[in-house]
Amino acid sequence: MLDILLRKLIKTASGRTRFVMAVMGLSVALLLILAAVQVQANYNELLNGKTNQDSTANFLVVNKEVNNKTLNATTLSDDELKKLQQQPFIDAVGNISPGRFKASIESYTQNFPFKTDIAFESVPNAFIDVNNEDWKWDENSSFIPMIIPNMFLDIYNFQFSVSQGYPQITPAALKTVSFKVNMAAPNGSVQSYTGRIVGFSDRISSVLVPQSFMDWANQHYATQQTSKPSRVVIRTKDPGNPALVSYLKQNGLTADADKTRFSKYRQIVNAVVNVSWITGAVMLVFALLIFTLFIQLTIASCKEEIALLITLGAAPKQLQGFLMKRFFPSNIAITLLSLIVISILQFLLYGILQKQNIYVSAYLSYYTFAVAGIVLLALWVLNYTTINKYIKVNNK
Amino acid sequence: MGTQNSIEINSLIPVPLKEKLLQRSSDIWNRQEVFYSNEWIKIKAPSGTGKTTLTHILYKLRFDYEGSVLWSNKNIKDISDKELAQARQQKISIIFQDLRLFQNLTARENIELNRVLQEPFYENRVIDEMATRLGIAHILEQRAGLCSYGEQQRIAIIRALVQPFDFLLMDEPFSHLDKENITIAAALITEECRKRNAGFILTDLDDDDHFPYTRKLNL
Repeated sequence: MLDILLRKLIKTASGRTRFVMAVMGLSVALLLILAAVQVQANYNELLNGKTNQDSTANFLVVNKEVNNKTLNATTLSDDELKKLQQQPFIDAVGNISPGRFKASIESYTQNFPFKTDIAFESVPNAFIDVNNEDWKWDENSSFIPMIIPNMFLDIYNFQFSVSQGYPQITPAALKTVSFKVNMAAPNGSVQSYTGRIVGFSDRISSVLVPQSFMDWANQHYATQQTSKPSRVVIRTKDPGNPALVSYLKQNGLTADADKTRFSKYRQIVNAVVNVSWITGAVMLVFALLIFTLFIQLTIASCKEEIALLITLGAAPKQLQGFLMKRFFPSNIAITLLSLIVISILQFLLYGILQKQNIYVSAYLSYYTFAVAGIVLLALWVLNYTTINKYIKVNNK
Repeated sequence: MGTQNSIEINSLIPVPLKEKLLQRSSDIWNRQEVFYSNEWIKIKAPSGTGKTTLTHILYKLRFDYEGSVLWSNKNIKDISDKELAQARQQKISIIFQDLRLFQNLTARENIELNRVLQEPFYENRVIDEMATRLGIAHILEQRAGLCSYGEQQRIAIIRALVQPFDFLLMDEPFSHLDKENITIAAALITEECRKRNAGFILTDLDDDDHFPYTRKLNL
């Protein structure tokens, strides 16, 4: 009953347009801020989420840029390797060991003749994405397993076979083909082994053999003693990390450009998120200001009524409680509305991205709710202190 | 009532009227006086002697005075907003000379507001009973601003009577009423004060015998 009477006395109608402006400003500000938080959350999810782990994306082959200065001097020193390992954005570094011996491969059959010189490389198994039981080697093995880049097969199937009139070949068929591997010892003698392709990878553009074979072969056939790697493979959570890209650049290193190009998108996302943040924050400040003014104005326009209420014995607490009930629910409504709008947008985004095999959550992140809660709390404090202050001022 | 409620004044003198008031003799100004809540006090005050000023000072509406006012032994300058609201809701009711109704609320709403400001002392049907007695039942739903002074004064009287109190302050409460209505209103006030064991302080210009006063003072 008291509330009904107070509502008649303390009218907010005088500032209707101001109220609408304050509500609109607050809504837009909250939308921007919550959207920024949600976009950031989505982005983090994309970077770290399991479902989005791309087998090639997180592994980069890094080597020195080949230019006039580094020509024939592209090996990485121990220092350089150590520094690389210490970077926070690099999880692991795997040396790519080059074969230090001469080798060639040739076909066993005349139906499909080929012969070519070849060089092998190997990396620790942890950096390889082919899980295959054939991918192992010891001195008793009947063949040498190899992994080649998908690109090699593509070059054959779409360029070579067409120009030379050879049949195209499927990856599965190629895996069944055995071929001869000739290895030349330093003294000139040549020994032959059998080789077979056991897998294809996009991760490292090189013909890979198991580390165990590489160690053994280098021991038996090596013509030179250096064992410093010129290429390493690194594992990173985020190949688009601008810090990684700028580190590589500063140290004269290059990596697969395709993967690090993501860095540009990342910078754009960061910029958008930041602009949204800042705009939202600035708007929030103004919206809060308008809201405060609106409260002030309402109290000022009902100055006489409030004074008489207090004269009659209304407690400041009663008036504060009433005014809070008057102003704060609109803030709750705005916050809820913003959350609902962002939820809908997020759900739509989820649907759109899912079609492109990009998986973000269909629901809002906890951070978004937390930020909404914090803003709401700030609004409560602002409402409360403003009302408190102006009732006191009025009372004197 | 456990402890006797009291209003005490010590060397009280309003600053704006100081020189004028000190030149004449008074039972109130610049003296020490205690009013107890079992007393019905009439203060006779010619125009310009600070009648309304006194009422407002006693109700803690103005502070431009020297000396002190104590409610039940507590200086009212030291009581908090909360205690003040508490006292005005429970201990001290008032009928202003200038009535002070909310012009935009109806007569009933004006009375109702003071009834529900605290835990109601009366049910709301009492409003109708009192209004009927004072002859203003027909204007209860009318906006106070549209009522005549006589009607507004009776609304103000009922408003003061629907709340609990130990003291009723009345500042020329019958100025706009005719003799017949004064008698009815005084009877109602008498009943209500007896019901609460409450005292009152009434200020007026002339002598009267509307109430069986226990003390008569000159301002």
